[in-house]
Amino acid sequence: MKHLTFALVTLTCSLMFSKQHSHAQEPIDFAHDVLPVLRDRCASCHSNGTYKGDFSIDIRESILDSGVIDLDEPAQSELIHRITSDDPEYQMPPTGKRLTPDQVSRFTTWIETDLAWEEGFTFAVSTWKAPIEFREVTLPPGDGNAIDRILSRYFAEKNIAPSELTNDSVLIRRAYLDLIGTLPTIAEQDAFRADTDAAKHQRLVQTLLNRNRDYADHWMSFWNDLLRNDYEGTGYIDGGRKQITRWLHHSLYDNKAYDQFARELIDPNQDSEGFVQGIQWRGNINASQVREVQFAQNVTQVFLGENLKCASCHDSFINDWKLADAYAIAAIIAEQPIEMVRCDIPTGKFAEARFLWPELGNISPGAANPADRLREFSLLVTGENNGRFARTIANRIWQRMMGQGIVEPVDVMGNEPFDEELIDYLALFLKENNYNLKALIELIATSNAYRRSSVVQLESSSVDFSGPVQRRLTAEQFLDAVWGVAGTFPEKIDAEIDDYGEPATRVRAALVVSDLIMRDLGRPNREQVVTTRDEQLSSLQAIALGNGQPFFDALNSSALRLLDLHAEPAQLIEHVFQSALCRHPNEAEQLILAGIVGPTPSVESVSDLLWTVLMLPEFIYVQ
Amino acid sequence: MFNENTSEQYGKRTQIDERRTFLKATAAASLAALTQTPRLLANEPAQKIQATADSVILLWMAGGMAATDTFDPKRYVPFEVGTPVEGIISTFPAIDSTVDSIKLTTGLENIAGVMDRGTLIRSHVLPDLGHILHSRHQYHWHTGYVPPQTVAAPHIGAWIARLLGPRNPAIPAFIDIGQRLEGIGEKEELKAFHTAGFLGTEFGPFLLPYPEQAIAAVKPPPGMTAGRFENRDRLYRQLIEASSAAQFANDYHQQSMMRSMDNAYRLLKSPDRVAFDLSLEPKESFDKYNTGRFGQGCLLARRLTEAGARFIEVTTEYVPFLSWDTHENGHETAVRMKQEIDQPVAQLILDLEKRGLLDRTLVVLASEFSRDMMIEGIPGSNAKDQSRAATDVLQEMKQYGQHRHWTGASSVLMFGGGIKKGVLYGKTADERPIMTIQNPITVTDLHATIFHALGIAPDTSMEIEQRPFYVTSDGKGVPRLELFG
Repeated sequence: MKHLTFALVTLTCSLMFSKQHSHAQEPIDFAHDVLPVLRDRCASCHSNGTYKGDFSIDIRESILDSGVIDLDEPAQSELIHRITSDDPEYQMPPTGKRLTPDQVSRFTTWIETDLAWEEGFTFAVSTWKAPIEFREVTLPPGDGNAIDRILSRYFAEKNIAPSELTNDSVLIRRAYLDLIGTLPTIAEQDAFRADTDAAKHQRLVQTLLNRNRDYADHWMSFWNDLLRNDYEGTGYIDGGRKQITRWLHHSLYDNKAYDQFARELIDPNQDSEGFVQGIQWRGNINASQVREVQFAQNVTQVFLGENLKCASCHDSFINDWKLADAYAIAAIIAEQPIEMVRCDIPTGKFAEARFLWPELGNISPGAANPADRLREFSLLVTGENNGRFARTIANRIWQRMMGQGIVEPVDVMGNEPFDEELIDYLALFLKENNYNLKALIELIATSNAYRRSSVVQLESSSVDFSGPVQRRLTAEQFLDAVWGVAGTFPEKIDAEIDDYGEPATRVRAALVVSDLIMRDLGRPNREQVVTTRDEQLSSLQAIALGNGQPFFDALNSSALRLLDLHAEPAQLIEHVFQSALCRHPNEAEQLILAGIVGPTPSVESVSDLLWTVLMLPEFIYVQ
Repeated sequence: MFNENTSEQYGKRTQIDERRTFLKATAAASLAALTQTPRLLANEPAQKIQATADSVILLWMAGGMAATDTFDPKRYVPFEVGTPVEGIISTFPAIDSTVDSIKLTTGLENIAGVMDRGTLIRSHVLPDLGHILHSRHQYHWHTGYVPPQTVAAPHIGAWIARLLGPRNPAIPAFIDIGQRLEGIGEKEELKAFHTAGFLGTEFGPFLLPYPEQAIAAVKPPPGMTAGRFENRDRLYRQLIEASSAAQFANDYHQQSMMRSMDNAYRLLKSPDRVAFDLSLEPKESFDKYNTGRFGQGCLLARRLTEAGARFIEVTTEYVPFLSWDTHENGHETAVRMKQEIDQPVAQLILDLEKRGLLDRTLVVLASEFSRDMMIEGIPGSNAKDQSRAATDVLQEMKQYGQHRHWTGASSVLMFGGGIKKGVLYGKTADERPIMTIQNPITVTDLHATIFHALGIAPDTSMEIEQRPFYVTSDGKGVPRLELFG
């Protein structure tokens, strides 16, 4: 099943058929009409290395080669004879229900339409296997950022023309939003544009990364989602769940080395134990959601990009993990011997604590209590040979900054990356820089790859990399930006964090309790680990923004404040536009905006100005 | 959520969408497919299910409605000081309904008058989830899955919105009436299932906590005139055209965003949005429904169904220890709650019928569990007694009524949408414990039955995190075909 799933997603997306139809037929839809039957009824015996009767359905050509197809007289094809036969010795499939007349007729039509196939599709498995250990990378010759050196080889091999380098205005907005989550002030923008230093972009990146408080505030949202930490929610009131807010913010503020960070989460202290303790739901719960199993699922997903959710109920059918593997991780944290439960039925077998990849080491048999085992486990996860640990976080950060992972989805690190050397290099870089995440972010942010224009993405675009992809502002970025344009902020921080001896200059959305607007904009309930948010604006969100009272009220109070700052329409327009989009309006835009504001700006007209600009895709997406 | 096609065209459009989704899923290394976007799996049922309903109204009795004091009358014992509570099963006398075999309790005379239009199920059984908490049972009932789950499970309305789309492109496919999610107890737990979960917010509930204010959700806020609203939209679109970032117009993020903006504006400008405005209902009709927020919610549901809504939930709002959540004073509370539901529920059925809508609208009335004076959960349950009026012998009125959570048998009403008329389904014991003794039907099978009415197979699934996630728990729901006429 795993193999098939993999093979299926490696198909390239094309709605066209590979061949023109030779008959005036209702066109057959290979992917919908034929493929499911091939997959369900034929593939187990005739594909991917198993070729009973020497018959392979791997690709169109192998089917034709086998001689079971008669393109001239489709109905006389051996394939059709076999799928319609009642002779137990001859019929195909040999067992199970006969194909329905409809399915048979689709097969006939399929042959009549020249055995239409999906370009590039094969049932054969990719033999690619994700490495676990680190791998040395030989950088292509040349100077400059290692990412660009690797990508130049990638572009050449794949014959991809990368996008052009983008302009200062786009770049400064992108860098601010990606690194610290807020928009640059107009003064900061102007200074950047006026700067003629060739290294100004590098300096900007460093300056931003040195803004420890802003950096920590911004990355709180990412880590809160991943570690399912929140300021209120299920379980907090009755002691079934514990926040790690203060520890987390402090760790980000200090740019704690990522291996240390992970060790403190896995082998926790009082302040960081909330993550491994998980959520204790009241009442009887499904065996796959007891705290020990939550631990197994979440630690492997977050730190190793492996999915044990399937395997925590039964042997997985999406990857190679077995029930015993999931319970082996659960047993690490279990106070008492933990009995394996298959689909909520106890098996009578008890799990033994062990690591996923014994080649990297294992939990010692003598580790008798959870504290010892967790310490050993934390060292294995962050061990010097565990390249998967580094690849997983490097890929997550790349995905945040480029809009698309090197490996997709980011939680399936067993998938093939678009470029192996790139992910291998980033992992190694991280290790060699003592797991300094800011160093990794700096490496990425100062690459030309990062500085390129966003590429237009169609729904059918491939995963090939040619430049960053537009990504939607998170709920927190959106509100920070909206509040920032007019300088209206919430009054207090809800997150219990240190003040580091200096009060925050502004209250960030990441640090307040989620409200209706933030929920509408996609801030998740943090009862499950969330590693990516929805990139699409939904219709309900559009209604809330177009019509909702809370957003309307926020715009009005912003408008009031803006009127205090600027009386002149032109100034107002310039201020709003440049604050929000980091560029000057062009002439056509100016004209339209002037029409909105009118000759004598009012709360209404300025509120409309704000709405119009803040609803632009250019505002809502990081370009 | 919405789309521009008429409802007639919608079926076609869905097929195309499914085909696209499927292609994307099986055939695409496209980004949309590779990232975590859930997709429909292509395991189509061998036989298409013929839908008998186009829309669903779920009337939710939040808090645990006691069956023996509502739709499953047993031996009536009036209040009398000194009566042992052990002997009390029903605190209301039985009344006749328009179906000979069906008796209800006093206070439900109006619903009794329309029983010939629907089916009464008395054998809805629920699991004993340990402490028998409202939030967990409500989550289970609404999503079909026992919480917690490793992925966020979608509300049944979100599934329906995802699989069938809107009936009218201007009316959101999933509307939730009467429940606040802020400012009340257990709000986090309520939020956990008032969601489309992994399906994405596009299919989430359009929340209308106060029916009388529903219109405000679909018209410009106070202070914004219609003209200004239109003008703003017009200039906005001009600005996008003029923007120097116009090169991204083809980007699928941008396209999907503009589609959402169009959808929002379609609703906000649609003449159909008058359906949200209860002030337009003739006074005589309004008064028939107006027993409070729930009654108004029923009226709103009727108006929205007429306008083309797909799935609507109307709830007697869940607030811990209020409404049906009777841990004491159960009898008097039940009197009040029945006043709140009896007339509007019956009127809703009559009005739908009069408008010719009942045949294709499935109305379901249900609750997360029942109540029993004596036993918590099911016999042998170790759940702790949460009754606040525990006593062996009645001393005062507040001890009279159904107080403890009971999962052995609860009552469900079903009207319209192809469901049999004038039928009683399932049977319960006449003496405590009031266990189901015939035709038990679980949440999983009840959901399968609702999905079946809509033409959706119980093992329809979407892939999330590479795993199939089914509309009914593990795809195992079995519709009760005998409930269909």
